[in-house]
Amino acid sequence: MASRGSTVLRVLAKHLLAEVPAARFGLAPGRVRRAAWARGTRRAFEELGPAFVKLGQLISVRPDEFSDELVAEMRSMQDSVPPIPASAIRAVIAAEFAAEPEELFATFEDTPLASASIAQVHRATLSESYRPVWGEVLPPGADVVVKVVRPGAAESIRADIAVARRLAARLAGTGLARRFDPVALLDESAVTVERELDLRQEGRFADRFRFDFRDDPRVVVPRIVWPRSTARMLTMEYMRGWRLTELEAARAEGVDCRGLAVHGATAFMRQVFVHGRYHADLHPANLFVTPDDTIAYLDFGIVGHLTPEERMNITQVMAALVYRDADRALTYSAKLGVHVPPDRIEAVRRGLGKLLDGTTRRDGTRDFALFGLGFLKLLGRHGVRIPSGYGLLIKSLATVEGVARALYPEIDIVATAQPFTTRILGQAMGDPARLRERMPAAVRAALRELVA
Amino acid sequence: MTDDVMRFFAAWMLTHEAADEGLKAAVLRGESGGPEGMGGGPDAFVDGLAAMVAEEKERLKRALEARARGEEPAAERDSDPALEEIRFEVAELRGRLDSIESLLETLVRKIG
Ligand SMILES: Nc1ncnc2c1ncn2[C@@H]1O[C@H](COP(=O)(O)OP(=O)(O)O)[C@@H](O)[C@H]1O
Repeated sequence: MASRGSTVLRVLAKHLLAEVPAARFGLAPGRVRRAAWARGTRRAFEELGPAFVKLGQLISVRPDEFSDELVAEMRSMQDSVPPIPASAIRAVIAAEFAAEPEELFATFEDTPLASASIAQVHRATLSESYRPVWGEVLPPGADVVVKVVRPGAAESIRADIAVARRLAARLAGTGLARRFDPVALLDESAVTVERELDLRQEGRFADRFRFDFRDDPRVVVPRIVWPRSTARMLTMEYMRGWRLTELEAARAEGVDCRGLAVHGATAFMRQVFVHGRYHADLHPANLFVTPDDTIAYLDFGIVGHLTPEERMNITQVMAALVYRDADRALTYSAKLGVHVPPDRIEAVRRGLGKLLDGTTRRDGTRDFALFGLGFLKLLGRHGVRIPSGYGLLIKSLATVEGVARALYPEIDIVATAQPFTTRILGQAMGDPARLRERMPAAVRAALRELVA
Repeated sequence: MTDDVMRFFAAWMLTHEAADEGLKAAVLRGESGGPEGMGGGPDAFVDGLAAMVAEEKERLKRALEARARGEEPAAERDSDPALEEIRFEVAELRGRLDSIESLLETLVRKIG
């Protein structure tokens, strides 16, 4: 394990040294220098594999803690690696089912469909029909994909996190990282990785989403084939469609991209504000537009969960954004764990007011990503700690915006939130507990108005 | 006494009228520009809410009119959300059992 520690250091050193000329031996202006170090770090993380890729993804949602350059690099990190041979995948399937793929499926393709650091995806067809948890029966011969965790992935990720944790503890001791706690960040990444390593968890989330959107014919989620699924292998319906990187082809086939953008953004708002469960790992490869004008969600590796109380407070913060109300935003952010010290409140409120008014694009639509990241940075500047769920939600919203804008550049994501937030808060006014709490004040105000 | 009754109705009409004007204005502001058309701040939310309530009012009006004409309102779907939720949970359990059953079969294959 000590040797892995030195490998990590060697890979980091190799990629950082490669950037020394670009940083002009440390003499380049700050921005150029930071960009060079950020690039080197990102390349090192990509080489070091899944645990570091995850870590990078966490860094990419913490603009309050890390430089703009590092955050931008980490956001562009690629999670695609050379495929491993089919024989290794077959070995995993044999260990899970004590059978060859040909005994489990009618057909199985040895050439992978996709290969990422944690899992590899192969196509297959069902040998018998299966009634899924929700939806129509899958007939024999139905096209499916088999997602298999790479052999040794779990062990090497766990070992890597342990190594990185030790390095981080040493880093924390040097005082180089004053403001943030690298050990806590790693523990957070350990939790997300553990969850992704058990594919059954992902399958359950997929079933749940399918159910949540059962009344929406334009949102589809693959059906899970449970008799062919274990912790290390997930079998699900094959989805036909175009990735968001292949939109030109989709448009050529007459797919209504504009309609799908609005619908997709609305579907996300519904996940957050109505269900309290949202797909938090949205990126262009995890989302398809299909030939019959639907949006297909793939890969439920990371799902955000909100308690009813959090959901209500987030609705309030969103309403504050929709209606540009800095006070409301701060009041309800505090309930979500964003505590601004009393002597900073005025300054933060002023900064927030400026952001609320100043993040409009030239065409009049609002730029949520600019607002969200600006807000996180504003809080960071004033030394306010940001709870990780809060950062994840902002990042997810910014991603939804980016994805929706790829489909339809003029979309205003904040406007799609308006009907949800307004309706939910309007309905909450009728909650008896709230009425009991607020009515006396309302009556007093009315009387005061009358006697005035 | 008659005076009092008159005053009461007059006051009622007056407040009603005032409220109505204020509300109408709010609805107009809320409907007009969407978020950008509004001034921002707590009052903007009231405008947005008023516009939504006004929409709801129109819906109610249409439903009442339809009923007066003797039309049945569009058949409400009789899917009770609580029932659906239980149905889903049962189906989810079945999914888990399917997965466990195949695990069992694997063990049998390994032993046998
Ligand atoms: N159900 C599916 N139907 C079609 N393609 C799929 C399906 N699931 C995964 N893929 C393909 O495999 C790729 C990787 O799958 P994903 O679940 O995102 O794995 P990972 O979590 O390892 O990134 C996707 O980008 C997509 O191209």
